[in-house]
Amino acid sequence: MPYGNDCDACFYTMLHGNEKRRCPQNEKCGEDVTLNKTYYVCKYTPIELLKAFGGECEILNTMPEGFDYADEIAHPNICGFGKSVLEAVLAGEVKELVLVNCCDTIRSVYDLLKEMELPDGSHLDFLYMVDMLHLGNACSRERVAAQLKELAKKYGEYKGREFDVKAFRNAFAPKERMTQPHLAVLGARMGDELFEMTKRCMPLPVVNESCVNNRSVAWTWPEDGTDEAIDFDALMDWYAGELLGQIPCMRMMDNTGRKQLYQDPSLKGIIYHTVKFCDFYSFEYAEIKSHTDVPILKIESDYTVQSSGQLLTRLEAFSESLELNPEIAEAIWEARSRAETDGSAAGGQMQMSDGSGSLGQSQTANGFTVLEQAQGNDDARNFAAGQSGNRDSAQAGMAGQAWGGARLQNGSAGRYGRRRNQMGKGYFAGIDSGSTSTDVVILNQEKEIVASIILPTGAGAAIGAERALEQALQKAELKREDINAVVTTGYGRTAIQDGDKSITEITCHARGAHFLDPRVRTVVDIGGQDSKVIRLDEDGSVKNFVMNDKCAAGTGRFLEMMARTMEMSLDEIGKAGLSYDEDITISSMCTVFAESEVVSLIAQNKKPDDIVHGLNKAVAAKTASLVKRVGGAEAYMMTGGVAQNQGLVKTLEERLGTKLIISDKAQLCGAIGAALYAVDMG
Amino acid sequence: MQVVETFGHYIEKWSADSPERARRLLKTGWQAQNLKFRFAPDKRLLPADQYLAHLMMDVMLSPLKDPEHSALVSVFTPCELLQEVGLYPYNVESFSCYLSASKTERTFLQTAEDAGLAETLCSYHKTFIGAALSGVLPKPRCIVYTSLACDANLLTFKELAKLYEVPCFAIDIPAGHNPENVAYVADQLRDLAVFLEKSTGKKIDAESLRERTKRSKRTLEGYDTFQKARADKYVPTDLVSPLYSGMTQNILLGTQKEEDYVNRLLSEVEKAGPSKGKRIYWMHIIPFWSDAVKKEFVFNEKAQIVGCELSQVANLEHHSEDPYEDMAMRLVYHALNGSIMNRIDAGIRHAKETKADGAVWFNHWGCKHTLGGSQLAKRKFEAEGIPMLILDGDGCDRSHGGEGQTSTRLGAFLEMLNE
Repeated sequence: MPYGNDCDACFYTMLHGNEKRRCPQNEKCGEDVTLNKTYYVCKYTPIELLKAFGGECEILNTMPEGFDYADEIAHPNICGFGKSVLEAVLAGEVKELVLVNCCDTIRSVYDLLKEMELPDGSHLDFLYMVDMLHLGNACSRERVAAQLKELAKKYGEYKGREFDVKAFRNAFAPKERMTQPHLAVLGARMGDELFEMTKRCMPLPVVNESCVNNRSVAWTWPEDGTDEAIDFDALMDWYAGELLGQIPCMRMMDNTGRKQLYQDPSLKGIIYHTVKFCDFYSFEYAEIKSHTDVPILKIESDYTVQSSGQLLTRLEAFSESLELNPEIAEAIWEARSRAETDGSAAGGQMQMSDGSGSLGQSQTANGFTVLEQAQGNDDARNFAAGQSGNRDSAQAGMAGQAWGGARLQNGSAGRYGRRRNQMGKGYFAGIDSGSTSTDVVILNQEKEIVASIILPTGAGAAIGAERALEQALQKAELKREDINAVVTTGYGRTAIQDGDKSITEITCHARGAHFLDPRVRTVVDIGGQDSKVIRLDEDGSVKNFVMNDKCAAGTGRFLEMMARTMEMSLDEIGKAGLSYDEDITISSMCTVFAESEVVSLIAQNKKPDDIVHGLNKAVAAKTASLVKRVGGAEAYMMTGGVAQNQGLVKTLEERLGTKLIISDKAQLCGAIGAALYAVDMG
Repeated sequence: MQVVETFGHYIEKWSADSPERARRLLKTGWQAQNLKFRFAPDKRLLPADQYLAHLMMDVMLSPLKDPEHSALVSVFTPCELLQEVGLYPYNVESFSCYLSASKTERTFLQTAEDAGLAETLCSYHKTFIGAALSGVLPKPRCIVYTSLACDANLLTFKELAKLYEVPCFAIDIPAGHNPENVAYVADQLRDLAVFLEKSTGKKIDAESLRERTKRSKRTLEGYDTFQKARADKYVPTDLVSPLYSGMTQNILLGTQKEEDYVNRLLSEVEKAGPSKGKRIYWMHIIPFWSDAVKKEFVFNEKAQIVGCELSQVANLEHHSEDPYEDMAMRLVYHALNGSIMNRIDAGIRHAKETKADGAVWFNHWGCKHTLGGSQLAKRKFEAEGIPMLILDGDGCDRSHGGEGQTSTRLGAFLEMLNE
């Protein structure tokens, strides 16, 4: 199969799905060809040089469904992005790849691709790794220039082309910078799918300044002479300096220049993204969080599509907190007004192009634009949701976030636009659909609880919510039409069709906790599936929050599994740790390893009370760590099902050095918050 | 054992409110241990290895006693220049190892994670950062590190330089094994000499440095000879002695004491008895704390570790009379620099030289290059007739260990070798 060295058209390709095109100049090729792009992953890649040899370059940035191939030939505990590169290559989606020795994982990717055959027995058509140095001085420049010349030689031979100085010059693209109020994604590279979701969730334009996306190779031609007069060696020396002189990556030994990424007056918030097993950016996050005044959300993905879906709650909660922030709300309002005036032009302002495009990345549709299309316009909403394929699907749900953000205060439209405010009899319902239980609270106009109910969620969130609402109505002797507004929250909130608005459990828990006890400034919520700590201000608005990662450590599920191992009920385990003789430490926080540690302790005839106390200490340590990260302050309230575990509460109180407020309505906290938001809707 | 736990408990307890008190306790505990190494060593070890335990403890105590005359270093930093200006190596990896041995690592790991550092960061780096953030570990005179052999170096030392507010010198090691890169690194080492002279006010004597790098070469060659000589011998060992030599063969290279240690090994190996049991060559660090690993390899005539990769990272084929070039060659042609194949090839060569029956590739949590290359290594070792076990775990952080799994895997591997 020819790879297009004979005609220019062969350099075009659509690699998604290995789409084949007939070569337009097929008198030379004469058959269907698979056309190649040269993929790259790092901003230090000399893409202008590759383009000077006719290469068409594209960032490799898609998120796979899983890492079946990569886990088999590498190891599960390497960075998910590196594994996504292996997946793309092994799936045959990439034939030409130019890497940079960015990090240990990418070095491994190169080692493996160089040594191993692809599933069909072949190798990549072109594979190269640039040994980019970590210093930016004159000596480093000289070494990088030598590398560029070697790459030019090999790539030129591969493409069968000479260096084209005009193509080289034309390959430089100016970097546009956003000057209007915006949010930025910083940190480790963010997959296209997650970035699209982020944009849709946020109430302001979002600029991707993560990793490869903040490429900033300058456009200052080195000499005054004509292209023909330029000496190639001198040009490469200049080019090496330009590559090294970009906004530095965290891998560079001097990365102080990165401050310009977050010291920008038009920056209103930061979504700081890290990738599991990429450690570079946690250091920068630790630095930024204590040196910036703008709101910051940290999220971590493992670079799979699934992990992105799990981040939706955090993104939505952050968006909600921005809208409740008086300083930022004004910028949001202005941005919306401007977009109304400009039509959909706002999308164009936030394109950050390096002149190369990105696999599967939309540069025109962004959350901001969609948000404006949808505001007060159900048809536009339907259109937007329809574009994502299936309105009922999770994807449609994500698209729906785009116009949801700003309705927390004015209540003018539902997040999902399911139902407009109805004429009721002055009652308001909040439904909290958790992984274990579904809770419903009905309030009257005076914000008094008229009925509440807690039921097991059962098989489906929607059915569980319907049943719980029905029973709550029965208890209150009301009918569905007596309810003016229903707000849903919790893990299953998006699946519930019977709501007027959907708000994250973070925002609802904060509001509910404030309602239950206005002294509360920190909420510790340990639920069945996740644990979170929320910092509130004196009005009950979210100031900051943090959630556990995907791992079950530190959640109710962890204790549930340990109870099963010890053949105890949850009630028993809740009381067992209250008194103990031996201070046992469970060192493993991984649920699987902890379970085997517990089994081993049982085998050693350790007392159940002592083992349970050890488990409580492990969960308390994990929770206290979350409290520290969020900057916990008095007074603390504990909510969620685990608040019933007396032993854990005691251990956590000891660890935090304070008493925890546990309301008798602790489990209803989220539903109360949701109901209060329903009251706001009028 | 209970003594260590109590000791660790108090260090953890005091590190939060009274870090200087915790440091004093740490120093006192380690001094007591050093007295034991000196006057009541483990007689099951070769005398050379008894001496090594004491030597290594001295290395650890020096920065605690006199931090002003210590330079914080990464394990592969060439230390000859430091020795010339009278600075002790204050090594991050070794300190974390010893903190873990003192059962104090958990609180420091948590401190680092609370500051926002990733849970997936190498525990050697994270433990040290946590201890530094807690104020337990003292401020050094300066910091010198290399980009070799992992990403964590690029992060940890900058962070520590900010924390301690001390001058910091970074040595950038390009991945390619070629003379141009040697020249690039040699130039940096010349700049390092200037940096150290400025930091300490002492002058580096060119002739003395030349003698020192020659000693380094003799020491490395001597150790290589010892490894070959032990091929037909039974050298009783524990889990820490191979680790100690992995540390001292790097941070003490150039010292008379390290050469003395190697000379002792060479003389004692001659008297060792014939080889017994299964011989395992160990790639990467050894989880010295793991009971499951101890059970299989500590003073066990049925199976023992006969070499650790970290003691044999230099490529002895490259040598220069110029001390700066000589040190640069050690870094550029280093087994852990560049492609994983350099490391795999060196491991296979060294395993064969010691007549190893099998090898263990230890996937230390957080060490991405080791993890990424593990399957490839297994394939290459086995193609050369050396069965390999890939063992996941953590050299420092006990919470990443699965003792049950480790025991099963190691046990099954040894059974397989015995079949």
